[in-house]
Amino acid sequence: MITKKSLPRRTFLRGMGTAVALPFLDAMVPALASATTTKPPVRMAFVYVPNGIIMNGWNPEYEGTLGELPRILKPLEQYSQDITLFGNLTHNTGRALLDGAGDHGRCCASYLTGVQPRKTVIDIKAGVSFDQIVANQVGKATRFPSLELGMEDARQAGDCDSGYSCAYTNNLAWKSETQPLPPVLDPRALFERLFGNGLALTPAARARENLYRRSILDFVSDDTRKLETGLGPTDRRKLDEYLSSIREIERQIEKAEKDNTQIDPHMEKPYGVPADFAEHFKLMSDMMTVAFQSDLTRVITFLVTHEGTSRPYREIDIPDGHHPLTHHRNQPDLIEKVTQINSYHVRQFAAWIAKLRTIREGDGSLLDNCMIVYGAGLSDGNRHLHEDLPTLIAGRGGSHFKSGRRIVYRKETPMCNLYLAMMDRMGVHVEHFGDSTGRLDALDLT
Amino acid sequence: MQFPIPAKPPVGIVFDSAMGRIDDVLALAMLHGFDGKDQARIAAVCVSRADLQAAQFCDALGRFYASATSGPAAMFMRFAPIGLADGKPAAASVMFSKAAYANAVKNINDTADPATLIRNELMAQYDQNAAVVLSGPATDLAKLLDMQGVKEWIARKVRLLCVADNGLQADAAAAEKVFAEWPTPIVTAGREIGEALPFPGDSIEKDFAYENAHPVAGAYRAFKPMPYDAPSWAMAAMLYAVHPNDGYFKLSGTGHHRELIVDPEQKDRIIRTYIEMASAKPVPRKPRHPVDEKKDEKKDEKKVEAGK
Repeated sequence: MITKKSLPRRTFLRGMGTAVALPFLDAMVPALASATTTKPPVRMAFVYVPNGIIMNGWNPEYEGTLGELPRILKPLEQYSQDITLFGNLTHNTGRALLDGAGDHGRCCASYLTGVQPRKTVIDIKAGVSFDQIVANQVGKATRFPSLELGMEDARQAGDCDSGYSCAYTNNLAWKSETQPLPPVLDPRALFERLFGNGLALTPAARARENLYRRSILDFVSDDTRKLETGLGPTDRRKLDEYLSSIREIERQIEKAEKDNTQIDPHMEKPYGVPADFAEHFKLMSDMMTVAFQSDLTRVITFLVTHEGTSRPYREIDIPDGHHPLTHHRNQPDLIEKVTQINSYHVRQFAAWIAKLRTIREGDGSLLDNCMIVYGAGLSDGNRHLHEDLPTLIAGRGGSHFKSGRRIVYRKETPMCNLYLAMMDRMGVHVEHFGDSTGRLDALDLT
Repeated sequence: MQFPIPAKPPVGIVFDSAMGRIDDVLALAMLHGFDGKDQARIAAVCVSRADLQAAQFCDALGRFYASATSGPAAMFMRFAPIGLADGKPAAASVMFSKAAYANAVKNINDTADPATLIRNELMAQYDQNAAVVLSGPATDLAKLLDMQGVKEWIARKVRLLCVADNGLQADAAAAEKVFAEWPTPIVTAGREIGEALPFPGDSIEKDFAYENAHPVAGAYRAFKPMPYDAPSWAMAAMLYAVHPNDGYFKLSGTGHHRELIVDPEQKDRIIRTYIEMASAKPVPRKPRHPVDEKKDEKKDEKKVEAGK
């Protein structure tokens, strides 16, 4: 017998201060529902890398269907059918426009806000970022309107670039023109936010909890058992894979915490931050996956490292600081090192995209229902150029985008035109944003 | 690379032209001459006909005048894109059809939408330190006026719009809109101005001979059978935009919209200035912002130290 009864989309597994949201299951689809009412939601994320990119290794020499990709993008080549690569998008408000030095501070602050930030270290002012405009509308349907994540330095005060506050270089999302949303860096803090009851544990309480080495899945085991009895085999497999991925995240965090304690028991680094860049990236991306999969949020910004960072990359045998290297003055050995850093970042991103592709959702994959922008606020980091910004979107935005292409627009085309087009696909309709001059065309299937 | 804030520079010129007459080419050459002598700066160059070859020529001319610059100044020199009207491709001008000068414009995506380019470049000008020179249809400027918030930017940044009255009729509606809505004073170089102040054709063989394949001389020869003198509507507008207070011209009437009047006593001086500026040799340019590499390196070293 066919009935209209279905599992509510907002079902949680609960127990002992824990609330685990569920992925999109077949059981959540009413048997007689139309295709439109059951369509999975569109999600968007921004993955921002600093200090520009070696553009020779990024831009293919062709337009249209993606084929062989240049060196930096090589890790994405096997997923090129899911990628849209953009050319000539520009952030004019990242340029000096008479404000002199400070391209790193400006380009990060203007990246999602589309406005020129005030040059100051005290009374900061930018604009509401477009992810927050989207979050204000679509976020009502999810537990978190948006998530702001990062991997390095969340200082909010002081001068980080020629008179620009660290609030400009260390944040992507702005809730108001004076209120940035600092990223969460610590995987443990993010995990507790995603699956906890909203109360952050003190280090002492966390240590007590660790003594028992219990997984959050243990706390919700009763609910899990009850749920499983009503699920079909496909949903049971989906649920099992999903809960296994959460357990794997827990293991990674525990490992990082253990490693950190062994390295230096007195270190001030947050508990769960792995020393290894790739491990940290994987943890954060795994949690972004779960957050999207279980519809905890539909909007994420991820500041990989902050603009102007001098972080060395000993993981790939580059002890030099990232930012000094980008001022390579056309020296081949320095360009090579920056290229390796750029490639390393893309490699981590590609691993995340690979994972999103494997998760089935509706008639396609989770990635199909995402728009994951990977990009930077500078193109040439040596010359601090704000035009032809390295920008790609992974995913099809709910099967809207005709991906697998490189689209080159006219020079000076505002990046904000892309944002307007993305907002449309998130169901948020705005006539003008930042310095937009219209909506980016040629994106859709038709 | 971080740079200190530069001192207030000379007037920034936006040149929007049809590039359909040799007068437009000479006016652009003059602008490069003024730029080389630090009497003006090129803010934006736009072509208001959908003529890709004209855009290629404008880009090539910029590179020709930049060719004397080398070292750090060359490394950090930014070639702003050429603005080019889109739409149905216009008939290519004979001036550029045989031109093969080095340029970076392969297709329309190597150019910018003129209104967007002008908006962006005006935002980078000091207040009341920009002028716009229009020669040809006012289509681009009419689109500019329709952009969100741009009228305020124009009022703040631009001190003057100089119009060469030799092609406005190609888009009468746009001209009407611009004359009605443009927020700064407008000065027009009427038809009689261009004819009263002809650019002497014999200058091409003398003053441009320093370069065997001078792009301007090539365009001049291609435009019409030599020898001929060229009317100078756009050159007059350009000269007034750069030097409005130097007595080259008189102005008619008062108010928002005035016209240039030829002062017979200034005629020789004006034509000498035309020749001097249009035929000016490329000069090495200093970096707009002094390069202080050592300071930058020290700052990075401090950051690395702080991060340890």
